[in-house]
Amino acid sequence: MRTDTARRLALLVRHNTVLRLRDPGHLVSYLVMPMVLMLVFSPLYQAALPDGGRAQAVIGMLVMFSVLSLSVVGTALLTERTWRTWNRLRASPASVVEMLVGKALPVFVLLVLQQGLLLLFGSRVVGMPVTGTFALILLSVCVWSFALLAVGVALAGFVRSHGELAAVSDVGALAVSALGGALAPISMMPAWAQALAPLSPGHWAMAMLGAAVAGDTGTALRAALVLVLVGVAAGALACVRVNRGFGDLRG
Amino acid sequence: MALVYSVYFVCVRCIERLMENMLEALCLDRAFGSVHALDQFTLVAESGEIVGLVGHNGAGKTTFANVVSGILRPDGGRIRVNGKAPRAARRLLGLAPQHLALYPTVTPRETLRLFGGLYGLRRRDLALAIDETAESLRLTGFLDRRVGVLSGGQQRRVQAAAAMVHRPSLLLLDEPTAGVDPGTRRSLLEAVRARAEQGTAVVYTTHYLPELTELGASIAVARHGRVIARGGASEVLGDLPGEVRLSFDDEEVRVPTTDPAATLARILTSTARPVRGVDLRQPTLDDLYRAVAHAD
Repeated sequence: MRTDTARRLALLVRHNTVLRLRDPGHLVSYLVMPMVLMLVFSPLYQAALPDGGRAQAVIGMLVMFSVLSLSVVGTALLTERTWRTWNRLRASPASVVEMLVGKALPVFVLLVLQQGLLLLFGSRVVGMPVTGTFALILLSVCVWSFALLAVGVALAGFVRSHGELAAVSDVGALAVSALGGALAPISMMPAWAQALAPLSPGHWAMAMLGAAVAGDTGTALRAALVLVLVGVAAGALACVRVNRGFGDLRG
Repeated sequence: MALVYSVYFVCVRCIERLMENMLEALCLDRAFGSVHALDQFTLVAESGEIVGLVGHNGAGKTTFANVVSGILRPDGGRIRVNGKAPRAARRLLGLAPQHLALYPTVTPRETLRLFGGLYGLRRRDLALAIDETAESLRLTGFLDRRVGVLSGGQQRRVQAAAAMVHRPSLLLLDEPTAGVDPGTRRSLLEAVRARAEQGTAVVYTTHYLPELTELGASIAVARHGRVIARGGASEVLGDLPGEVRLSFDDEEVRVPTTDPAATLARILTSTARPVRGVDLRQPTLDDLYRAVAHAD
C-alpha cells in the first residue's frame, strides 16, 4: 500500500514537473526581473541605508518577486480546474493528499531554486554581505516558500478565474511587499504604515531572510515561526477547499 | 468428506463471484440545493454488458457517472462496483468525462503513461497497454504530439484511451462521441465493443441513439434523476408508437401505432379507397428519445 502511494506520488511529481517546465515564462521573468532591479536600486538603497543598503536591495526584491510568484502557485492549481483534470484525477486511485503533494512539490522546489539563485546573485554580483550559515539561510528560504505555497493554494481554491487570480495576486503581492518593507525600508515609512507592517507576511519574510543572511539565528527563527503559522493556517484552509473538489459538479 | 465440502464451497463462491453484477447502483439520491439531480436512480450492469444510458440534458446521467466514479458522494442509496464501494473500487473503474479533461501541454503517450501508472500498471505492462490502446483507438500517428494541437476528435480518442488503458472492469463513458466525425465515432465504438467482449461492463451515455443499436447495448432511459425504463432494445421500445403511412390518390395518412402490421390490416379491411402506397415504420430509439423528451 505504502509502495503504491510512493509510486503514485513519484508519477504525479514527475508529471507536474513536466507541466511546469513546459510553461516556464513566469518563473523566468520572476528570476530575471529582480536581478535587474537589484542592480538598478542597489545604489539608491546604499545611499539611504549606508549599513544595510545592499541587503535591502537584494532581500527586498527577492521578497517582492517571490510574492508575485504566488500567481505561479495559484495558476498551477487553477489550470487543473479549467482543464477539468482535477476531477479526472480524483476519479483515479490517487488520493487528494497525493494529488496536492504531487502538485505542490515541484512548485516548492522551483520557489526554493528561485530564491536561492537570487541570494547567490545578490551576494556575488550585488555584493550583499553574507555571514549567516548555509543551513539557516536554506531553512529561511524553505519556510518562506512553504508559506507562499500554502497561501497560493488557498487562493487558487477561492478564485474563480485566471483574471481574478491575476488581480488578487498582483494587488496582494504589491500590498504585502510594500507594507512588509520590501520596496522601501520600514524605518523610512510613515508611522501608520510601520504600525501595520507586522500584519504583512512580507514583513516577517524580510525580517527572517535579513536575519538569516546576517547570522542572527534568534530573530530568523522567531520570524520563521510566524510564517510557519501563516502557512499552516492557509494550508488547512486550502486542504478543506480542495478536498471538496473546488465545488460540486452537476450534470 | 471435508475436502469435498471445501472444494464445493470454493466452487460455489467462485460461481457467485462470476455472476455478481459489475455495477450495482441502487436508489441513489443526490441533490444540488433544491435540484434533485438523482432521485432514487437505480442501474445494474453485468460484466460484458453495454448499458446505453439515454435521457435529455439534466436527466442525471453525468451526475450518475460522477457519483459512481467517486467524484461526488451520493446523499443516499448504495453503490457497489464488483462488490466494493466506489472509493475502494477505483482501480476497477475507467472514466471518460463528458467534457474534455486533458493536459494540453503533454503528449497522448505521456497522458496514457500517467493514467496507466496511477492505476497500477508498470514498465513492460504499461508500455504494452499503451501500445494496445493506442492501436485500438488509432492514436499511433500522433502519440508523441502535444494534446493541445490535436483535433477535437483526436482529443476525444485520447480521453477514451486514458479511461481504457488500465483495462478497467467497469467503463463509464459520458458522451464519448459528442462532436466527433464518423471515422472517430467508428473507432470509438469498435474499441468499446471489443472491451465489452473481453468482459468489461460499459455504461455508455449518449444522445446519438443509433450508436446503441450499433453497440448492441441494453437501454436505460433516465428522466428527472431516475431510470424510467430499462431493458433490451426490443423490451424498451415495445410500447412506443411506430407508424403506418398510407398513400391515397389525393392525400397521405399517417397513423401512429404500437403494432404497425395489425393496424395496417385493420385499415385495409375498413377502407374502400384505393391505396397507392404503404410504408410501415417500426419504433426506433429516436422515437424513444422523442417520447422521453416529449413527456418532459
